[in-house]
Amino acid sequence: MASHGLTYEGCNFLRQRLVLSALSGKRVKIKNIRSKDDEPGLRDFEANFIRLLDKLTNGSTIEINQTGTVLVYQPGLLYGGTVEHDCNPQRSIGYYLEALLMLGPFMKSPLKATLRGVTNDLTDPTVDLLKSTALPVMKKFGIDGEGFDIKVRTSWYSRGMAPGGGGEVVFTCPVRKTVRPVQLTDPGKIKRIRGVAYSVRVSPQMGNRIVESARGILNQFLPDIYIYTDHMKGANSGKSPGFGLTLVAETLNGYFLSAEMLSTPQGQGDPILPEDLGRNCAKLLLEEIYRGGCVDSSNQSLALLLMTLGQQDVSKVLLGPLSPYTIEFLRHIRDFFQIMFKIEVQKPLEDERKGGDKVLMTCVGVGYSNISKTLK
Amino acid sequence: MDGKVKKQKQHQQKHSGPKAEKKKLKKQNGSTEEDERKRNPKAFAVQSAVRMAKTFHRAQDIKTKKHHVPVVDRTPLEPPPIVIVVVGPPKVGKSTLIRCLIKNFTRQKLTDICGPVTIVSGKKRRLTFMECNNDINSMIDLAKVADLVLMLIDASFGFEMETFEFLNICQVHGFPRIMGVLTHLDAFKNNKTLRKTKKNLKHRFWTEVYQGAKLFYLSGMVYGEYQNQEVKNLGRFISVMKFRPLVWQTSHPYILADRIEDLTDPERLRTDPKCDRTVSLYGYLRGTHLKNKGQVHIPGVGDFQMSDVNFLPDPCPLPGTQKKRALNEKERLLYAPMAGVGGVVYDKDAVYIDLPANHVKQLQEEVRPTTELVQSLIETHVTLDAKMAASKVSLFSGSAGLDPTDISEVQEGLREIHVWDAHTQTQRRKVVFTGLEEEEDDVSGSSSDEDDDGSDQENQEEEDDLSTFLKEVRDKSEKATKGSTPPVKKRKLEEMQGEEEVIAEAPAFADSEDELERGEADSEGEGEAERAGDSGHCSKESEEDSDDEEDGDEDDESMEEEIGADDSDEEEEQGKYHSGTFKWKEGLQQKASAAFLRHQEAAPNLRKLVYGSVVEAEDSEEEEEELGGLFRVNRPQKSKKVQADALDCSHFNPDISHNWELEEMLNSIRDCFVTGQWEEGQDAATLLKEDEELYGDFEDLETGKVHKGTTGEQDQAETDHQSGRTKSESDEDETDDEDQQVKMDDEEVQKNKRLEKKRRLKERFDTEYDDGDATYFDDLKEEMQKQAELNRAEFEDMDDESRVQYEGFRPGMYVRLEISSLPCEFVTNFDPHYPVIIGGLGTSEGNVGYLQMRLKKHRWYERILKTRDPLILSLGWRRFQTIPLYHIEDHNGRHRLLKYTPQHMHCGASIWGPITPQGTGFLAVQSVSGVKANFRIAATGVVLDLDKSVTIVKKLKLIGYPYKIFQNTCFIKGMFNTVLEVAKFEGASIRTVSGVRGQIKKALSTPPGAFRATFEDRLLMSDIVFLRSWYPVSIPQLYNPVTSLLLPVGQKDSWSGMRTVGQLKHDLGVRNKPSIDSLYKPITRAPRHFNPLHIPKELQKALPFKSKPKLLQPKGKVPRDLKRASVIREPHERKVAELLRALSTVHHYKKKVAQRAHHAKHKEFLQQKEKDEEAKMKRMKDARKKLYRIMGQKDQKKQRSSLKGTPQDD
Repeated sequence: MASHGLTYEGCNFLRQRLVLSALSGKRVKIKNIRSKDDEPGLRDFEANFIRLLDKLTNGSTIEINQTGTVLVYQPGLLYGGTVEHDCNPQRSIGYYLEALLMLGPFMKSPLKATLRGVTNDLTDPTVDLLKSTALPVMKKFGIDGEGFDIKVRTSWYSRGMAPGGGGEVVFTCPVRKTVRPVQLTDPGKIKRIRGVAYSVRVSPQMGNRIVESARGILNQFLPDIYIYTDHMKGANSGKSPGFGLTLVAETLNGYFLSAEMLSTPQGQGDPILPEDLGRNCAKLLLEEIYRGGCVDSSNQSLALLLMTLGQQDVSKVLLGPLSPYTIEFLRHIRDFFQIMFKIEVQKPLEDERKGGDKVLMTCVGVGYSNISKTLK
Repeated sequence: MDGKVKKQKQHQQKHSGPKAEKKKLKKQNGSTEEDERKRNPKAFAVQSAVRMAKTFHRAQDIKTKKHHVPVVDRTPLEPPPIVIVVVGPPKVGKSTLIRCLIKNFTRQKLTDICGPVTIVSGKKRRLTFMECNNDINSMIDLAKVADLVLMLIDASFGFEMETFEFLNICQVHGFPRIMGVLTHLDAFKNNKTLRKTKKNLKHRFWTEVYQGAKLFYLSGMVYGEYQNQEVKNLGRFISVMKFRPLVWQTSHPYILADRIEDLTDPERLRTDPKCDRTVSLYGYLRGTHLKNKGQVHIPGVGDFQMSDVNFLPDPCPLPGTQKKRALNEKERLLYAPMAGVGGVVYDKDAVYIDLPANHVKQLQEEVRPTTELVQSLIETHVTLDAKMAASKVSLFSGSAGLDPTDISEVQEGLREIHVWDAHTQTQRRKVVFTGLEEEEDDVSGSSSDEDDDGSDQENQEEEDDLSTFLKEVRDKSEKATKGSTPPVKKRKLEEMQGEEEVIAEAPAFADSEDELERGEADSEGEGEAERAGDSGHCSKESEEDSDDEEDGDEDDESMEEEIGADDSDEEEEQGKYHSGTFKWKEGLQQKASAAFLRHQEAAPNLRKLVYGSVVEAEDSEEEEEELGGLFRVNRPQKSKKVQADALDCSHFNPDISHNWELEEMLNSIRDCFVTGQWEEGQDAATLLKEDEELYGDFEDLETGKVHKGTTGEQDQAETDHQSGRTKSESDEDETDDEDQQVKMDDEEVQKNKRLEKKRRLKERFDTEYDDGDATYFDDLKEEMQKQAELNRAEFEDMDDESRVQYEGFRPGMYVRLEISSLPCEFVTNFDPHYPVIIGGLGTSEGNVGYLQMRLKKHRWYERILKTRDPLILSLGWRRFQTIPLYHIEDHNGRHRLLKYTPQHMHCGASIWGPITPQGTGFLAVQSVSGVKANFRIAATGVVLDLDKSVTIVKKLKLIGYPYKIFQNTCFIKGMFNTVLEVAKFEGASIRTVSGVRGQIKKALSTPPGAFRATFEDRLLMSDIVFLRSWYPVSIPQLYNPVTSLLLPVGQKDSWSGMRTVGQLKHDLGVRNKPSIDSLYKPITRAPRHFNPLHIPKELQKALPFKSKPKLLQPKGKVPRDLKRASVIREPHERKVAELLRALSTVHHYKKKVAQRAHHAKHKEFLQQKEKDEEAKMKRMKDARKKLYRIMGQKDQKKQRSSLKGTPQDD
């Protein structure tokens, strides 16, 4: 009666596979992890991620061979509760948080995860970005409530930039039995842009410089722009210097599009001027707006997952062009849940000036219900 | 006062006059409540605010109690047939009832009810009848899939245990509709007893089901059948019945299999008759959408993975939507393959035909159509065969190096062989020929024909050799004169259409090909792409049936190649793109990302990009491995590999081609902001104007001035001016001729505008006035309604092939499942009287884990249940044996193990079993084998929690003895064995039996396990010290599915699993050796011995004189002379005394009698005396009365006279 598993190759999309495995209860085997690499096997951050998953679940078995090139994961039940985890500084907390966001609503008991490590880095969406975009997306699916939040700045230090880390984030998420179907088809017009320009262990003037340059570009479109400057010093500033900008555009219908940009980590690559950073970030936001849709590009897979796990009703969501990560995620959803999405491309009209092509994703949920939650 | 009672005057009703008129008028109009309220307002005034509030609350409570949580209506447009399960104890008339109902609906006679029988009962309803035999396994399985239960009750006997058992099973697994049917009513000779029995049974039935549940009476048999009228009525009831959705059924797909075919390779069967079988199961899909390749559970067999699902044309379709009242003869279909009846049956690879003769009669005379039929049939067969042969290629496509011509050759050869194979060895595959023979004569027709049919079937099923084949062929040629064209023609037509579609589709695909891609594909290397395409094609046919290009083999090879090449190309490009995420300044990256985005832009390619390429990638991988053979070709820098080990990152890097410095780029997103231009109808200016239109016209009553809103035409012009700049430009160049046209258009536009305006007004009015009393419940219901509409509409205009991929197979479809590894016993021991249910499993319902449930022993079950006794549970689709541990939750949340279930209370039960969603009900039986007199359902309950660990503990008391006692401290031994054990329990609280509390302090070195403890009081050496602890209990991991369907025919109800310890001991004759202490022994009591009382000398001195022990000493013997002598009478004296005694007895008796008589007399005397006294008193009273009366009269007279003043006549 043991459920036969799925087999994949390579370490790419490891998180997707493990998360979907935990949600669907299917065993997953990943072979040839960097088998041709000079340093074969799992990296530290991946091992760290697996450890976090182990903390969240009950009864899961993880087998890794000696070289670390083969991983077999038999998922247990998602347990949740209070979890503390020191994330590996090779990847930022966003890497771990993205998976937690997907698993959070389907735990046995409400999740309160304290993650320590790098809060902002270049490769992964930062904690600020996830807080301002992923949470509203989940709220649309009925995952809401008092304790639903991502908090930075809980203890005496908070923000930790790339190489050193030293930040702390608390993610709390309530538990849901079912997820409701959504129809997110009309993004609406952007009514305001907000943002945070943060700087740690550098001159506080950096923030202002960023803000000014970013506003310079965005003001062509909208007057309602406010970018907060957030300067941390002393103990609150983590272990490495750096600065960055997160921009979020809110539409009339309550959808959020976002972009972010960070300074290059200390001692890696050419330093970047705050003015350039502000400008580039604003351009990134424009790019994101050009792509459009109801969910921004970094949360596409989260929205699609929640659609899949909905009731057996039709859900629709309008997205910008699918990112490669999302495309792979769609394939994985088909492997794990046998769900295929209807993908319709909506081309803009001739005289419309609303950015590029949009993709309307439609699916019927699997009728997933949270089997971990206790019935009283 | 004349004493006359005054009678009240009776009411005289007026029959004429104005009053009567008035009344008549009133009566005609009818006085309403409103009137009364108006007329008599005081009566309806608020007397008490509290009372009013209470009544209001009560009314609201009652109103809201009626609400159910609204659910989205997910019933399909064409629902599957309703499953009607006919249950009852044996010999109650189940088969007869089904036969009668079938005859009633279809005018056909079905002699043997084997397996499910599907009929068309009306224009919108189909029914599937299933008989439930008297086996608890079948009862459990069928209760889970039933929509309606016809519960047959032998009225002459009364209720039997099976009825109640079935009702309880139903209660646990969601309550389907239940209708009682009383039979054997003709056994009652006396009308009164009949009536009484009916009433009694009815009321008992009502208490079990619900008050007012329908109970049908079948009064008697006529020629072995129930009376026509009664059956007709029952049929009517069934065909208008409404059903409620049951939670389990609506959340799981399931199929009640009505046809089963063994597809195992005959060669394998020959070499290994016990090998696992590949079986295809057919049936209507019910419940919810079924996903391909999902997991299913077959109750009685086990869990399986579906290797393939596809849908077939409905064998029992609903009639078309013509407007007419009744069904015609051809539409009254009957489909029961297990019983050997069914019309035309299409399969993936064959056609089965069974033609009832009454439909064919007219055609029989003509010869031509029949030959046509045969011809067409053969043609059909060929095309199907071609398909099948193509699909079979995958078996031989092991060597990937085969070129397409080779493949085609192999196909040719194969087809031939396959045809031969099919007829000689597989029984049912090629019944294209034999199907023709399956003809029935009239309903009353010759039995010989039917026999023939039967023998044919037997042939098909059992005999494999060539001679049968020849015989069949001969038979076929003989019977070829019969037969009909219509269904086959239809089939052929369909196929033609299909081919046409294929042809039509091919260019569409070609269109979708991007020119650029092709160029690139060419440059990548044609040969490799070709090979990839080929292998992709083969496996796609055999495995990937979900893919909508199932007719790919009919496409030309080049098309396939193109697609394959395209896929691989895309994959590669994507890989490149991805690998370069961090070196994005390279030109290659730019090119790749541009190509990637272009892919996304092309509509049909996007889907292929996401879903299509995966298959291709796998194929190419396979090919690589197999090509190598001895030497593996190593291509380290293959793009796929790079992608596989790339960085796991969700960032979507921006398109480099967009330069956000340029004005045109900025302009392209201008309208995404609120500052940009709005759509017509949303623009603030337009909205404002429209409002003005609506509310513009008004008359100022004070001044009498009439304000006019802007007229439509003006408005039109204005909007034109605003929105369509281009249009106004074009307007300018219009000629006069065109003016006319424009005017007409304008009018049209005006009309539309007005309509629109009206609609908006109405909408606004609705929102303002209707929503006033819309409650939360109404809102919720509306939301659900909207969702339901969306669900229906979303995939409505899609063809089934592609629809199935998105939604899964929807309920109502006739599907064919293929399961590849069923145990051979399932096929060899198949009995159609037992239901074969294929229950779909949810996402993680295939796993096993610990389940925590709430359980209650059934109040009708005689014994309590013991922890660790194996129990058979019916949970979800499954029936399985497991070992439960019972427990109860203490006030602090601790789960304490119980040895037995409590008598009349819920308790917890934990098992190791299949993961099933919380809230699912279950029932437990101790054994499923045989029939027992007692009620068999041992317990019922519900799943509460699923977990991978257990929290049950059992109480463990560790006992120790003090061996040295100081003040409050003492040393205790015997509780532990080592110092380490003690160390673990340091600080634990301990207690003596007498209730002195204490604490473990520290271990002592000797003896091992001894420790020092302190207590609140001094202990005695005789005290026993104990430590109360909780020991976690582990649940035995037994999950043993009941495999009742695998048992031989006739023994299917004799499944027995693990036995309980008690049963084992009973069966093996093992008796426990009881502990000596527990045995009963004769009670021997030693004689008690009391020591003499010893008083110390000191005390003696202090005692008072009379209590001195010296004085208390016995006085010694009385001398003889002081003793009284006893008198011994002489015999004479004795006689005298005897006589005297006798005499005195007689005397006493006489005296007593006399006294009694005296008493009676005296009593009488007293009574008499009393009576006399009474009479005397009465007399005296009368006298006194008379006297007083006279005196009174005198007084009166005197008074009157005194009042009158003077005595007049004295």
